[in-house]
Amino acid sequence: MLKELLIQYAFFLHGSKRYKNIKTTAYNFLLNSDYEYKKYFDIFMISLIVVSIAILVYEVKNPVPYWVDFFDIYLVTVIFLMEYIARVWVHNDWHKQVVKEVGEAEFLNRKVSLWRPSKETLKGKIRYLLTPTAIIDLLAILPAYRPLRVLRIFVLFRVFKLLRYTKSINQFLGVLASKKFELFTLLFLLVFITVTAGIAIYVFEQNENENIESIFDALYWALITISTVGYGDISPVTPEGRVVSMMIIVSGIAMISFVTSVIVSSFSEKLDELKENRIVEELNKKDEFMIICGYGQMTRMFLRYYAKEYTNRYIVIENDKDKVDEAIKEGYKAIHEDASRHDVIKRFNLQYSNITLLALTGNDIANIYITLNAKSLSRKIKVIARARTEKMIKKYQLAGADSIVRPNVIADRMLYTAITQPVMYKAIYAILTGKNMALLDEINLSQSELLVGKKIEELELKKQKLLCIGLQRAGEEGEFIFNPPVETTLEEGDILLVMGRKVSIEYFRSIYTKVKYV
Amino acid sequence: MFNRKALMFGYSNTTKFLAENLTKELHYLVIIVDDEESYQEAKKAGYRVKLLDITDDNALEELDVAEDDYLICVMKDHYINVFLTLSLHALFPKTTIIALSDSYHATQKLKMAGATRIIDLYQVSANRIHNILTKPVATKLIERLFSPEEEFSFKEILIPKNSILDAVMVDDFDFSKHGIILVGMIDKRLSKQFIFITSGLENRFDIGDTLVCIGYNDDLNKFEEYIKGKEDES
Repeated sequence: MLKELLIQYAFFLHGSKRYKNIKTTAYNFLLNSDYEYKKYFDIFMISLIVVSIAILVYEVKNPVPYWVDFFDIYLVTVIFLMEYIARVWVHNDWHKQVVKEVGEAEFLNRKVSLWRPSKETLKGKIRYLLTPTAIIDLLAILPAYRPLRVLRIFVLFRVFKLLRYTKSINQFLGVLASKKFELFTLLFLLVFITVTAGIAIYVFEQNENENIESIFDALYWALITISTVGYGDISPVTPEGRVVSMMIIVSGIAMISFVTSVIVSSFSEKLDELKENRIVEELNKKDEFMIICGYGQMTRMFLRYYAKEYTNRYIVIENDKDKVDEAIKEGYKAIHEDASRHDVIKRFNLQYSNITLLALTGNDIANIYITLNAKSLSRKIKVIARARTEKMIKKYQLAGADSIVRPNVIADRMLYTAITQPVMYKAIYAILTGKNMALLDEINLSQSELLVGKKIEELELKKQKLLCIGLQRAGEEGEFIFNPPVETTLEEGDILLVMGRKVSIEYFRSIYTKVKYV
Repeated sequence: MFNRKALMFGYSNTTKFLAENLTKELHYLVIIVDDEESYQEAKKAGYRVKLLDITDDNALEELDVAEDDYLICVMKDHYINVFLTLSLHALFPKTTIIALSDSYHATQKLKMAGATRIIDLYQVSANRIHNILTKPVATKLIERLFSPEEEFSFKEILIPKNSILDAVMVDDFDFSKHGIILVGMIDKRLSKQFIFITSGLENRFDIGDTLVCIGYNDDLNKFEEYIKGKEDES
């Protein structure tokens, strides 16, 4: 009976949109670095940690008011505890395991076991609880337990919690981790020299120097000396001791220079990568952005004219380092990567952002591959590809490109028009380049709902010096009506094509666009 | 058909496209090349072709070029294209020179060299991409207007003598009755500049004005015939 109830409950959770939304939101706040509002949560948690540590330091010499203590013990700790529980909760899903188990049991015609999915879920959660970050989270909660004052020192673990919320520290640690071998070698050398020098000074001066009473004193002196700190509380008194001292000072300086150079070189190696990661992370927070593949003539021209319109909403991916440097020098956002690689496009926020990918390299094969790569990751990505020849169009279409641009064809048609209809050429050129005098623009009725239900004649377009060129009916299969009759009624989701001066269109929009209250 | 000539310099896919489509529009079209291979290829394809050293001013001077002809510079090498434009502008300063460019810098140089119109291969494509992103419906329409297979297009219509449009104010004439849209015109009386109808000027139609309209091809042709009406009535 209980088992059936639990299975039903698991299925209820599995089908509940509300539960899924709540869990996704919790996940986004806690773990999804691409989530727009996560930074506010992080800032809030960092503030709590800073306040908590400030209270600890203040408390050393000053009595704190009751409410401060209350805030520190209950509020901060309760929030930390809730965060801790939430992290354990979002780590994995029990109901998914149960649903999987029921499915498998039905398929294999065996009895459903609730123990198996529960065990799997529990194992996952325990595995999480034993991770260093989860242990730090737990230790950061402990200081609230007042009977044991010694636990107050665990407040310092709250400092470690900062690691969760600050990327810079994590990046620094990441860079150090990449030089693990060199740093461990140096550490080993440091230990070796310190121990050798410590033993030497102990042997030479244990009976001569009143400050060196034990091997610990000798090791302490060696470490303070090799680090070039030199407090002066212990100093050698025999000539042999002084020789040892000189030797470890020299090796200390050498070692510090070595460590510094290892860290600096690893930073300079990783600097580009860190910068690129930062650009991608910033972009992933946007609702919509553009990935431009290739930095050739076409991209250059596009950015020259339109980079300002897409500020902070685009990125150029180029696999030629020189071209990347050139793009950066021009002031564009570019990274050195290969856009045809799966993991490169996967770095972008494919789930939440509306991404348009421009495949603009000069090579059809590369562009088709880039298109396929993007579409295989998400059908949602809109791909605009550049094709060089007519024969390639079909292949681009099969690869899933949403629009195909053929520079030569467009230019040929423009040339043809410039020769055969020179007057019209000027008009078309102005329309194509969006000149102020003749902007061909779209009025989207889902944004201008006051227009819905109106007849075109009621809009008095002539009075507003606008021309109605066409009407695109709503939906993907919606009909396009060229030069629609004036008695046509506008419907929800329609797109009205109008032509006129920019100022006329903007004024028209301002009249019919009202804030939508829900 | 226009009573004009077009001289196209260079042999490429662009030249082929233009040569195939312009034959109906112009009474004389010649392709000028500077290498034997292109010359043979163009000749084999059935085009009227001339072989000459285009860096030689004397050879260029001998070409029969009138003021209202077209000189089309579509050489593959943009250095030569700029140089050719400069030479042609120096020799035939009043003739329209249309040049194809493949970079922003080449466009600047062609402008300075005296090209009347420059079509920048990548700029038009960049505009197109921007339009696809920001105005997809409008872009599709423009594409259809450009496509020769479509049933509607742009058309230049000259107001002939004794036209019913003569001395009619723009606002007083209902184009929608004819199923077409007047986009703009060249008002001979005011200037030779193209004026968009949405610019707000109160214009009057006169004989010799050129109207630019969009509409279904049938409607445009019917309208062109219709405005000649006055002559027929008389």
